[in-house]
Amino acid sequence: MRNRLKILRAERDWSQAELAGRLDVSRQAVNAIETGKHDPSLPLAFRIARLFDLRIEDIFDDGEPA
Amino acid sequence: MILGTKPQLGPGESNSEKRRLRYMGYIAFCGIVGGIGGFATGFFDQGDGSLLTGDWELLRLPPALALVIAALMLAGFLVLPLYGFRLVDDYQREQSLVGYTGGFLGVMAGFPVWAALHAGAFAPAPNAFGIFAIGFVSMCVSYLYSRWRL
Repeated sequence: MRNRLKILRAERDWSQAELAGRLDVSRQAVNAIETGKHDPSLPLAFRIARLFDLRIEDIFDDGEPA
Repeated sequence: MILGTKPQLGPGESNSEKRRLRYMGYIAFCGIVGGIGGFATGFFDQGDGSLLTGDWELLRLPPALALVIAALMLAGFLVLPLYGFRLVDDYQREQSLVGYTGGFLGVMAGFPVWAALHAGAFAPAPNAFGIFAIGFVSMCVSYLYSRWRL
């Protein structure tokens, strides 16, 4: 699943560790999500969306038409 | 960075650092528990038996120490792994589950394969420690694979 996490993080000048700490996950998890190796759970996707004040579908894209 | 001064951490980085230290403390504690159990088993064994060769009847430990080691093993192989699941996030939990699955499948496949090879005179008779070792090594290899690939 594609996502804009790395872009959103860069816009705020946050390191992966900074974002991980704000989401209460490991830095490895942030890296895995950014590189598309791991899809976050629904609760984590909600936390990410709330942190960036966006909707989940504004951050994650499964490639399927809406 | 000026030598001797720490860079200012953001609130998220500070949380990440605490999380990392908590996890490292957990790993260190697991290592200490395993190390004490293993060392005590080897150092205080009074018999001529060996876990590796399967002559269990010759293993001898003082009863009180045997109870302590049993408690340590219970902590090391049951309580601490379960507690570890509470420390990690979804991503790390997935990697752990791949490791545990690999260990389980290693035992499930390892015993019948070993038994068949023994029946065909290709291998010595299966023993409990050998099966444990297969499970443990399978678990470690599966976990490392998941850390590499997932």
